Amino acid sequence: MFLNQQIEIDTLPQISSVALKPISKNYLKIILLNKALVYVICIGLVVLAGKFIIEKEELPDASMYIFGFALLVCVCNLILSILAFKKRKYAIRDKDIIYSKGLLVNSITTVPISRIQHIEESRSWLARKLKLSTLKIFTAGESGSDLKIDGLPFEEAKQINDFLSAKVNGNH
Amino acid sequence: METTNFSQPTRQSSKGILIIFAFKTFQFFRKFGVFFLAFGFSIMKKKYLGFLTPTNLILILLFVLFVILIIAILNYQNFKFHVSLDDFHLTRGIINKDNTIIPKSKIQNVYLKQNWLQQLINVVSVNIETAGDQKSEIEISALDRSTALQLKSELYSVSSQLHDENHEVIENNVFFKASPKRLLLEGISKNHLRSFAIIASFVFGLYYEFKDYINNLSFIDRLEDSIQINEGSIVNVLIANAILVFIIVLISMLFSIVKTFIVNFNLQVIENKKTIEINKGLFNKVSLSLTPSRIQNIVVTTNRIKHYFGLHTLSVKQAMVNAKQRKNFEIIALEKHQLDHLLGKLLVNYDSEIEASKPKPYYKRILAYKMIFLISIINIPGFLIFGNRMWYINIALIVLAVLYIIKTYSKSYYKIDDEFITIGSGFIDTTTNILEIHKIQAVKLKQSMFQKRIEISSVYIYTASKVLKIPYVLEQEARSIYDYLLFKVESQDKDWM
Repeated sequence: MFLNQQIEIDTLPQISSVALKPISKNYLKIILLNKALVYVICIGLVVLAGKFIIEKEELPDASMYIFGFALLVCVCNLILSILAFKKRKYAIRDKDIIYSKGLLVNSITTVPISRIQHIEESRSWLARKLKLSTLKIFTAGESGSDLKIDGLPFEEAKQINDFLSAKVNGNH
Repeated sequence: METTNFSQPTRQSSKGILIIFAFKTFQFFRKFGVFFLAFGFSIMKKKYLGFLTPTNLILILLFVLFVILIIAILNYQNFKFHVSLDDFHLTRGIINKDNTIIPKSKIQNVYLKQNWLQQLINVVSVNIETAGDQKSEIEISALDRSTALQLKSELYSVSSQLHDENHEVIENNVFFKASPKRLLLEGISKNHLRSFAIIASFVFGLYYEFKDYINNLSFIDRLEDSIQINEGSIVNVLIANAILVFIIVLISMLFSIVKTFIVNFNLQVIENKKTIEINKGLFNKVSLSLTPSRIQNIVVTTNRIKHYFGLHTLSVKQAMVNAKQRKNFEIIALEKHQLDHLLGKLLVNYDSEIEASKPKPYYKRILAYKMIFLISIINIPGFLIFGNRMWYINIALIVLAVLYIIKTYSKSYYKIDDEFITIGSGFIDTTTNILEIHKIQAVKLKQSMFQKRIEISSVYIYTASKVLKIPYVLEQEARSIYDYLLFKVESQDKDWM
C-alpha cells in the first residue's frame, strides 16, 4: 500500500463527495431520434433480406423469427440507453473537469485543467433547435483521454468553455 | 570541422536530389509496380497489347523516371530551412508553398538516420519530431554528418539551462555496447511465435499472389509423393509432425536472430550529462538522444530465458511517436546493473524496492472468462477442421489457459510512491511499466454492474503515449488512488513535457 505517506489520504478532496450534475434532459430527445433512425434502417435491412433471401429457400417462419429477434434487440438497446442516460453526469472543480457515464460499465473520467490542450464546442442542427451544445476537451496523446460531454445547455456550455479557456490560458 | 551558418535559409546537400529521386521512384514502383509487371507479362506473352509494345513500355517507363527526376530537382530547389533564435523554419513545396515554423521548445526529438543509400553516398537524414501528429514530422533527407550534428546541437540549444548540454556532447562516454554474443542470445530468446506469425503471413501472402502459378507446378502432389506418408503407422506421422515443428521453430529462430542483428547492429548507448544517446542499425543506421523531460513512460521487459542470460529490454515511450519509429526507442540486451543505472538516469529518485500491491483475485475470474470465451470461439471452426481430434487440442488449450491465468495473475502488481507509478504485467514476458505521476493526462475509474456489487473497480491512467491499467482493486482503494493521483498532478506545477 502507498498509504505510508506524509499526506493524509482522508483529507484529500474526494471524487466520491463531488456532486455530479446530470446533463440536460432535452438531450434524451436527440438520443431517441438518432436511435430511431438506426433501428428503422436495421429492421428495414432485416425485412429486405428476409424478402429476398430467406423466402427463396422456402423458410417463411425463419424470416418472422429473425424479424422478432431484431425487434427484441432494438427494444433492449432502447431501454438500456434510456436507463444509461441518467448516468451521464458531469462536474467542474477548481482544478479539473469530471465526466461520468455508463450503466453496464460505469466510468468516471477526470481531466486536470492544466493538461487540457484545447477545447471545442460543437452543435449539430438538432442540438441548435433544442438549445444544446457539445463540449469536447482534448488532452495530449491517446484519444482515450479526450472528454466529450454531450447535451449541455447552451448557456452553461459557453460558461464552462469561457471558464476553462481562461484557466488554460492563465497557466501558460 | 567546417561550420555552417544556419541563420540563413539553407538547402540540403546536393546529393539530396539523388535521395529524393530514389525515394520517389521507390514510392512510385511500390504503388504502380504491379501494373507494370502485369503489363510486362501479358506483353511478353502476346507481343503486344493495344498500342503497347515492349519498346513503348520501356519508353513510358523512362519518361516516368525523367518526370520523377524533374520533381526531385524541383523538390530540392524549393526545400530550404534555417534556425532562428527560438524557432526552426522550413519552406518547401513546388506549387503549394509550405512554410513550417517549429518553436525549439516544442521539439521532442531530433535524430539522425542513414539508410543504405545514404550510407553509400555518405549523407545522413535529420528527423525533427514534435509531440503533434505524424504530419508535423520533418525530415531533411541529405546533410553531411558534421552539418547534421551541428544542426542537431543548435536545435537542442534552446535556453541557457541547456547550454551545458552543448558542451557535454563532446564527452561521448560510451556506456554500453551490445556484443554480438549478447545480440545472438537476445535473438534466440525472442518470442518466436511472433516471428512465426510474420513468416506465416508473408508466405501466405506470396502464396495468394502466385496461387495459380504454384497450382500449375502441382507442387503439393510432388511434396506428398516425396514424403510418402504411410497411413497405417502412427509413429511415422508423429515423426513427420515433429520434424515439421522442428523446422518451423528453427526457421522462426533464424528469422528472429537475423532481425535482431539487422535492427540492433552495433548497438551503442552513449551517456551524456543529462541525455542518453542510442546508435544502432545495419541497413538503417539511427542515432537518437533521449531527454528525460520528454519521456512519457518507460517499459522494461524480460522473460524467464532472458532473465537467465541477464538480458533486459528498456523501451522509452514519447508522446505520439509513430509506430515505425517507436521500435528505435528500444535498448536491448542490457545487464541488470546497466538497466538500473539507466533507470536511475532517466528517472531521478526512482526506487524499485517499495512494497507492491496486488490486484484482487477477482482478476483471475475475469481472465478465466476471457479464456473460456476464446476457447469456445476456437472450437467452432476447430471441430469443423479437426473433427473429434479437437478434444485433444482442447485439453492442451485448457492447460495453456490455466497456465496463462496463474502466470498473468502472479506477475501483475502495482506500486505507487511519491513520484512514480510502477505496474507489472505479462504472461511469457515480464513487463514493468514505470511512469512519473506528473506526466498523467487524465484518470478514469471503470466499474461494471457486476463489479459494483462486489465493490471492485479498475483505474485507467492516461499519459501522452500510453494507457496504463491498475486492474481490479477494491473500490475503496481505487478511489483513494484516483484522488491521490489527481491531487499529485494538480497540486504540483510541473509540466508534462
